Amino acid sequence: MIGPLIEEAGRRAHAADVAVKTDETVTLTFEAGRLRSTSYAEERGTNLRVISNGRLGVAGVTGEDTGGLIDRALASARVGDPLELLLPEAAPLPRVTTHYPRAAAAQIEELVQLGRLLIDRLSRNGCQVNVVVERTLGSVQLSNTQGLEAGYDVSGIGLSAEVIRVQGDQAVVVGDYLAGADLPGLPAIEAMVDGMLRRIEWAERIVPAPSGRMPVCFTGGSTAALLLPLQLAFLGKSVLQGASPLAEKAGEQAFAAGFTLSDEPLLDARPGSRPMDDEGVPSARLALVEAGVVRHFIYDLETAARARVRSTGHGRRSTFAKPQAAYSNLVVAPGDRSLAELIAPVEDGLLVDGLLGVGQGNVIGGAFSHPVALGYRIRQGEISGRVTRAAVAANAYDLLNRMVGLGRELQWIGSSAAPAMLVDGVSVVGE
Amino acid sequence: MKNRLFDALRASRADYTEIRLERSWATTVAYRGRRLEGASAGLDCGGFVRCLNRGRGWGIVSFTSIGRLPSMVARAHEMSLSVPVDEPIRLAPIPVRQGDVRGDLDGDVRGIPLEEKQALLERLNGEMFGVDRRIVDTQAAYHDEVTEYWFGNSDGVLIHELRPEVSLSAVAVAVEHGIIERGLESIGLRRGWISIQAREELFLRAARRAIALLHASRIRSGTYPVVLDPKLAGVFVHETIGHLSEADFLAQNHEAGALMTPGRRVGSPELNVGDDGSAAGRRGTLPYDDEGTPTQNTLLVQNGVLVGRLHSRETAARMGQRPTGNARALSFRHPPIVRLSNTYIANGKGTFEDLIRDIKLGVYACDALGGRAHLEDYSFTSGYAHMIRDGKVAEIVKPATLAGKLFETLDRIDRIGGDFRWNEMGGGCGKGGQAPLPVGEGAPHVRIRDMRVGGELA
Repeated sequence: MIGPLIEEAGRRAHAADVAVKTDETVTLTFEAGRLRSTSYAEERGTNLRVISNGRLGVAGVTGEDTGGLIDRALASARVGDPLELLLPEAAPLPRVTTHYPRAAAAQIEELVQLGRLLIDRLSRNGCQVNVVVERTLGSVQLSNTQGLEAGYDVSGIGLSAEVIRVQGDQAVVVGDYLAGADLPGLPAIEAMVDGMLRRIEWAERIVPAPSGRMPVCFTGGSTAALLLPLQLAFLGKSVLQGASPLAEKAGEQAFAAGFTLSDEPLLDARPGSRPMDDEGVPSARLALVEAGVVRHFIYDLETAARARVRSTGHGRRSTFAKPQAAYSNLVVAPGDRSLAELIAPVEDGLLVDGLLGVGQGNVIGGAFSHPVALGYRIRQGEISGRVTRAAVAANAYDLLNRMVGLGRELQWIGSSAAPAMLVDGVSVVGE
Repeated sequence: MKNRLFDALRASRADYTEIRLERSWATTVAYRGRRLEGASAGLDCGGFVRCLNRGRGWGIVSFTSIGRLPSMVARAHEMSLSVPVDEPIRLAPIPVRQGDVRGDLDGDVRGIPLEEKQALLERLNGEMFGVDRRIVDTQAAYHDEVTEYWFGNSDGVLIHELRPEVSLSAVAVAVEHGIIERGLESIGLRRGWISIQAREELFLRAARRAIALLHASRIRSGTYPVVLDPKLAGVFVHETIGHLSEADFLAQNHEAGALMTPGRRVGSPELNVGDDGSAAGRRGTLPYDDEGTPTQNTLLVQNGVLVGRLHSRETAARMGQRPTGNARALSFRHPPIVRLSNTYIANGKGTFEDLIRDIKLGVYACDALGGRAHLEDYSFTSGYAHMIRDGKVAEIVKPATLAGKLFETLDRIDRIGGDFRWNEMGGGCGKGGQAPLPVGEGAPHVRIRDMRVGGELA
């Protein structure tokens, strides 16, 4: 079906490319330890881009029937912005495993067992356990008028768990998440369970929140407030628009020497891995920050053409919009210390495991001020208990400059991964 | 479509079956600066099936190939059978209605060429640059949608609707001496092409605000008497009492259940809060929810006391109450879950001037950039704010972050104005991976005795 569509589009426009994505997802939802519902979702979307009279147009449709799609893409091109865009030719693709037959063949019963295993391990008196198990099978097919025709399959297994413990008139919510292209092994599940149980134990005692400037350790799962500004700042589009505070720092030391950030599309079995991007550009690892030095920004075909650089292979397509630059797997390089070793030198400080309201306001500027949703006080190098009334106010760029230590375990949240990060001199407001 | 739906319902072997079929035409136009980011139209089609059997859980299926409806019904039935449950799932009864509701399309957006929509937005975007030379960047967006919607269930409910939607949003960025400020405005309506005309003022306001904020100082962090404007008060009540009144959350979360005990006094006798999915012409308004229940006005707080909760058929049966018409789904891709519709603080007494007259030093917090709440904790960022000095609105100050504990804050509401307004903001609400769901909010000006305001950032 993709062949005739690109042929007709090629006859009616100067150039065209089309992406067809399919997905089928089985989701099992366990509430309060019990299987509550099973769901199945299948989706097929076709995204067509045309270049007509030097202008870009795009249109999308779900389902099998693509009638009218080319007309709508041409209508979009009539008002589109002029741009010279070269679609890529066919090229050899790097090797990366994104599809695991074992995960694809897993029966619902096997997935139910996974959920029950997590619930058994996490159940404690006075705790409520919610678990979601998800299995996705997908395919990506691309074709363009330069003769490119390529595709690949993906599989994905996601496990997420949440333990809620009521403690007087307070509740502690501890969550974690495991995602990959293959079925997770027992060690990975055990590590997730151990981490969650440890955090629940730490939260048993409530202690007063500290106030002032102090060392703060962010767990890998709570680093979003630090990394979200960078995710925007490393978009080639932000550079083009003059909105990236890092644009003028390429090649300069902008962060602590221990900080390295890269986009990693070629890691086997990770959620964001892929041999090519959704515009047909072969995938490659890309360094964004190397030992604190700003290196590369990410581009899709359109932003690359506008910036007169090459695409870095970061085009992502959804059914209805034009391609946008997006990361594959965004990874902060880990350090060499365990969490215990990381906090050992801290006399008085905070371990932050979750902030409330991340992503509000002017994110790319880096300034944030968030209440701590889940946090623990560190006294003499050890966790002394949970703090319930504290807020962290800081600037992400400044914090990443004052980072003094990194954990060795990567915590994956979807397709981004970070270790725990210890930062000096963070402003904490306790109540 | 109707026949397809009928046949599939009749063929289902499940005890309860419900089907939604949707076809949605949408157009998006976006400008960044003076450049068109994109203008395109999409067609989104698909179906949703949910089956329930005695002693079993939900089997839920969604799909984009409507031709596969019969096999999808069979699959949903099988999936339901694969989930044994200890505690039976029951559905509270609803009136069996057959409805055909063609919402006022108000100038059907499907008949307007893409060029006209692009030209409209180009002009509005240009208005922002015209305000001042210091406006260096803008974002402007136009979105419209018409969804043809069929709902049917095995109890005999059958509904056909045409649901229109249209929205505009404006962001203006002003720069001077290295200071960058933004002004944001948006409007979202369940209307069409006619109602979105002559909206220049919205874009001018965004640009003027960005300019005004350039020379605004920051609020000194601290505790102040705070007056919330109707927009921010509406967002506040939606994010806090609104979400805490959703019965699915209360049933799952014991702590929330304990916080929200019916009969608990949460505020002064002047405080009345509700959620009204049937309010005329609002963004969260629909004749029926996505389980086929007629929408209604549900009181949540009456004279300062918690009195109501928002229900789906399932949560209503579990708590022995009646469905309130709040089971909503973002699209055919999602199951209906308990959602807010139009959440409001009802009118009190007095003018805005009455509320600020005796404040020596306070904050007038307006508009919302964002807000989150988790149980009792909340954190909001206003779009902008003014200081109140000696009973008068004084200088504009930069956006303020308001954070605190909900019930302490409600207890400190000491005046509720008589100038109720519904918001018409765009955007929407997110829950359980379903966003943005169109909702409405409304409130008068509300005064809070002591509120923690964070203005200075490190």
